[in-house]
This record gives sequence, C-alpha cells and structure tokens, in this order.
Amino acid sequence: MNSIAAFSQWLSERDWAMDFAGSAQVYPIVLATHLACIAVFGGLILLTNLRLLGWTLKSFSISDVIGRFRIWKRIGFVIMVTCGLLLAGSEANKYYYNPYFLVKLTLLVLIGVHGLVFRPSVYLNTQELDRAPVIPPRAKLAAGLSLALWIGVVSMGRMIGYYEGPSELGIPLGPVKQSLYVQPQDRSLCAIWTERFPD
Amino acid sequence: MLFLQANPVAQALNSAEWVFPTAEIFHIVGFGISIGTIAAVDFSLLGGGLRRKAAPRLLRDTAPWTLTALTIVILAGLVLFLTMPLDYLRNDSFRFKIIALIFAIAFNYTIHRKVASSENISPPLGILVGSVSLILWVSVVAGGLFIAFVTA
Repeated sequence: MNSIAAFSQWLSERDWAMDFAGSAQVYPIVLATHLACIAVFGGLILLTNLRLLGWTLKSFSISDVIGRFRIWKRIGFVIMVTCGLLLAGSEANKYYYNPYFLVKLTLLVLIGVHGLVFRPSVYLNTQELDRAPVIPPRAKLAAGLSLALWIGVVSMGRMIGYYEGPSELGIPLGPVKQSLYVQPQDRSLCAIWTERFPD
Repeated sequence: MLFLQANPVAQALNSAEWVFPTAEIFHIVGFGISIGTIAAVDFSLLGGGLRRKAAPRLLRDTAPWTLTALTIVILAGLVLFLTMPLDYLRNDSFRFKIIALIFAIAFNYTIHRKVASSENISPPLGILVGSVSLILWVSVVAGGLFIAFVTA
C-alpha cells in the first residue's frame, strides 16, 4: 500500500470520519450545504467573469463588481471548502483512487494557479481595467478560463458519485455508503453493484 | 399510473447510461447560474454585495441570464424526472422540493421583482425580501439533494 492509500485509510478510520460518513442526517445536510454554495456563491464567480467578458452588468464598473462581491465570495469559499473537506476526508479511502475526484482536485489546483497568474494584472488591477477604452484581452482570457475551470469542478464533483470502484484492480473497498454510490435513480449501477457485492 | 414509469420517454432515457449524469450536470450548472444571479440581487437587497440602491440595475442586467438558466434547469430536471416518474412522485423530498420551487418562482416574479426594481427600497423590506428569497431557493436545492437520501 502506498503512503497516500495508507493515509486515506487512516483518515477514514478516525472516529469523527466514521460517525460523519455513517450519519443519516449530518452527511446529507453537509452535502446539501456544499451544493447550495454552488447556487448562492457560484453565481457571484459567474457574474464577476461575465462582467470581465463584457456580457452583462455593464452599467457597473469592473471595480464595483469585483470589489463588492469579494467578501461574499470568500465567505462562500470557506463554507464550501469546509464541507468539501469533511465529505472527502471522511471517506478518503474511497476518494483517493476515484478518477473524477482526482480530476476535480487537479482543476482546483489549476484554479489556484489561475489566481496567481491573473490576480496582479486582472483581479487586483480593476481600476486600470475600468480606465481602458475596451476590456483588455487578458481580462477576457482570465474570465473565460475561470468559467471553464469552475464548470469543470462542478461537473467532476457530480461524477464522483458515479464511479463504481476499481474492484477489478483488487483494491479492497470498505462498506460503501449506499446513498453516495447507488442512488435510487441509477438502476444500471444498482445492478452492477449487486452483482459485485452480493451481500 | 404505471404507464408513467413505463412510458416510451423513460425507456429511451434509461437505455443510455450517460443521459442521467449529463442531465444532472446541466441541472446543477444551470441552477448555479439561475439561483446564483438571483442570490446576487438578494445580497444587494440585504445591503451587502452591490449597494441596495443598485438592485434595480442589477436585476435588469441579470434577469435574462436568470430566465435562460431557469429554463435549462427545468428542462434538465424534467429529463431526470421522466427517467422514473413514479419513484419521484412517491418521494417526500421531491414533493417538498416541487412545492418550494413553485413558491420560489412565484415569489421571484412577483414580490421579489417588484421590490428589487423599486427605487429607494427601505432597509427592513430589502432584508426581509432578500432573506426570504435566499431561504426559498436554498430549500429547493436542499430538497433536491435529499431525494437521494430519503427512502421512498
């Protein structure tokens, strides 16, 4: 077992992790909060980027939109990440080899890189953008990339629950959280699941 | 009622494995856009985000995005529903969600629109309408998620 696998296994065996992942109330509430953040705060990321593209909110300055949404986006980000850490951490033994989860993590790292690259010239440079006669291409590039990365994160997040697990690779799966892997709608997955794990 | 579950649309939708997850992604990204733009107006009504007196302009600029995305969410939601209508109709969380959705849409296009598009919104009214709107829409999202967690 490599060290990531060992760590993930260790993490998911902590008391808090087992209590959390096994809870019929707390787990879905945290998941619902994670999802509601997409609606409540994701929209602010969207509007910021649409403003940089010049597609909407044109009667507001870029400084106004970016400056006034910033604190709300930060609050949303903290709530979303806290919930995400609980969700992934408590079942780390099932997440660390999930390809959708790994792509999602990679996209989140790229979002960090995106911030480092574009903050100085775009997101912290809004007064200059407002003075420019047309929105500079680098601002539009930053906005387009940000939109693509965030839509990717949301899509991959949903797909995590569809991964059936690499049982064919011989990696042992713990008792799987029924609600995460076999939703009532996923009849095909249900069938596969019963085949693989008769008990 | 059984014809609902065995309807030709459901059979077509269930015959391909990618339909459900794809519709879900459209549903989620769509509600991110539609509810997100509504939430931006709510924040402004609450006195955070863009200033309260900017609410009418904010509403005017975002309304087409809200409506377009809401249409996409509902269409994608309809696809999800039609894959197994009876199971959804029996699901308490689904029923709660639909009721919350009806209230949320009705509120959004009556009181919310009227208040957000008026000049000089009084702070208590702004805070009340912004909070009710956020609570209604969060209830819709939470109700949707709980569909998978309640046993029908």
